[in-house]
Amino acid sequence: MEELVMETPEQTVLERLEQGTAPAPEAEIPPARTFEVKNMSIWYGEKRAIDNVTMDVVSNAVTAIIGPSGCGKSTFLRALNRMHELTPRTRMEGTVLLNGKDLYSNTVDPAIVRRRVGMIFQKSNPFPTMTIGENVVIGLRLNGVRNQKLLNERLERSLRMAALWDEVKDDLHKPGTSLSGGQQQRLCIARALAVEPEVILMDEPCSALDPIATAKIEELIYELKSKYTIVTVTHNMQQAGRISDYTAFFYMGRLIEFGPTTKIFTNPAEKQTEDYITGRFG
Amino acid sequence: MIAARHILGTFDESLAALRNNVLMMAGLTERSLERAMKGLIDRNDDLCATTIADDEEIDQLEKQIDKDGVDILLRFQPVASDLRRVVSAMKLSTNLERMGDQATTIARRARKLNQHPPLPEVNLIRPMYDQAMSMFKDSVDAFVREDVDLGCAVVTRDEKLDELNHEASRTLIESMAKNPDQLRGYLNLIFIGRCLERVGDHATNIAEDAVYAAAAQDIRHPSLTATT
Repeated sequence: MEELVMETPEQTVLERLEQGTAPAPEAEIPPARTFEVKNMSIWYGEKRAIDNVTMDVVSNAVTAIIGPSGCGKSTFLRALNRMHELTPRTRMEGTVLLNGKDLYSNTVDPAIVRRRVGMIFQKSNPFPTMTIGENVVIGLRLNGVRNQKLLNERLERSLRMAALWDEVKDDLHKPGTSLSGGQQQRLCIARALAVEPEVILMDEPCSALDPIATAKIEELIYELKSKYTIVTVTHNMQQAGRISDYTAFFYMGRLIEFGPTTKIFTNPAEKQTEDYITGRFG
Repeated sequence: MIAARHILGTFDESLAALRNNVLMMAGLTERSLERAMKGLIDRNDDLCATTIADDEEIDQLEKQIDKDGVDILLRFQPVASDLRRVVSAMKLSTNLERMGDQATTIARRARKLNQHPPLPEVNLIRPMYDQAMSMFKDSVDAFVREDVDLGCAVVTRDEKLDELNHEASRTLIESMAKNPDQLRGYLNLIFIGRCLERVGDHATNIAEDAVYAAAAQDIRHPSLTATT
């Protein structure tokens, strides 16, 4: 008669789990900072839009800026690549350091700043007269790149990073505006990535998109943060909670609270933050 | 603390309904424990039967609170204090349901005891009951009033209940040796003591959840705090 033997499994569940466990983290070191903003104030004519904001932006992380309409979120974002200067009668005080260098020094060319710090807008804005391919490499062309091999390489790489390559690789000659809204937004992200920026600023990048396109952009943001520092303005609390590592709450031009997103959305230190994110404001 | 109203009125209504159901469930659980104990002390089988029958209502409320909690998470995606209140309410209902089960067990054991001559050792249960019920009432109060100090105080009182249970069990085991004819009766009293000790554990859980809801402090397993 065959003997019944209870076999011991080769590995216990705990042993299998342990194999996948990463080594214990070493002592915590402060995260690197891409932006150091000190005492920033911005005026549009007589109106003060930003009031003495001091805040650091952590590298290779997503920072979400939240707050009610008119609180200065977009102005703050635009000040990080000097785009607010395009608005007439704008005045700024304070300092903004990008990787330790003063962004507002007289010797710094704003055009160079905008190449290093790319911007994605609320509404996708591909150039309507250009093809998909031309849209992606226009920044490089404007910066004097003529080498077609380099342009082609950068085109494919940017579209791949924007998770759009597989969808458009056979249609590069078609107009950028022939794409869907979500694809157009990813095309704009590819355009921003093509010039190899250090930072990507996003001003409500998903507010005009459906949930599927929004999810694709959010997934893209998650993947991009390993290579880029990302600052995004959003009105969507849940989105801020999903995609960001840090959250800054602005109100009436002032930075009310800044901290890790988990902390802000579970136990904010300031009552104004609590009232805003829980929908009690006003 | 009374929080300001939400801009979305239906959110306030849903949170209030959830809270009211938790309070109702706490009230029913308290009544069941009282009836079970009275059924034991007064040797009243009717009260024991009522306690057992009422458990269904407590179970029903547990399901309702879970459903309402999930509904709020789905519809309103609460954050900060709202999120903590919803999560704590759902955890509270689980603990209350288990307390209701303990009341049922006490009632069943009491009914068995009532079939035999009274045991004087039943008096050992009274101080445990008083301690467990005061912990239970204070833990629910801590949740309702968002009283962090009261919640923390409840947690420290569990040790006394454990000691009372330990002492009662030891005395009852000694009684078993002296009076083996009443073995079943003493065993039933030991199990009732264990039920009350579990009531204290659930009250501790509720108090810990109350502190989390009020102040976002996780006071569970303090020995782990230093390492996490």
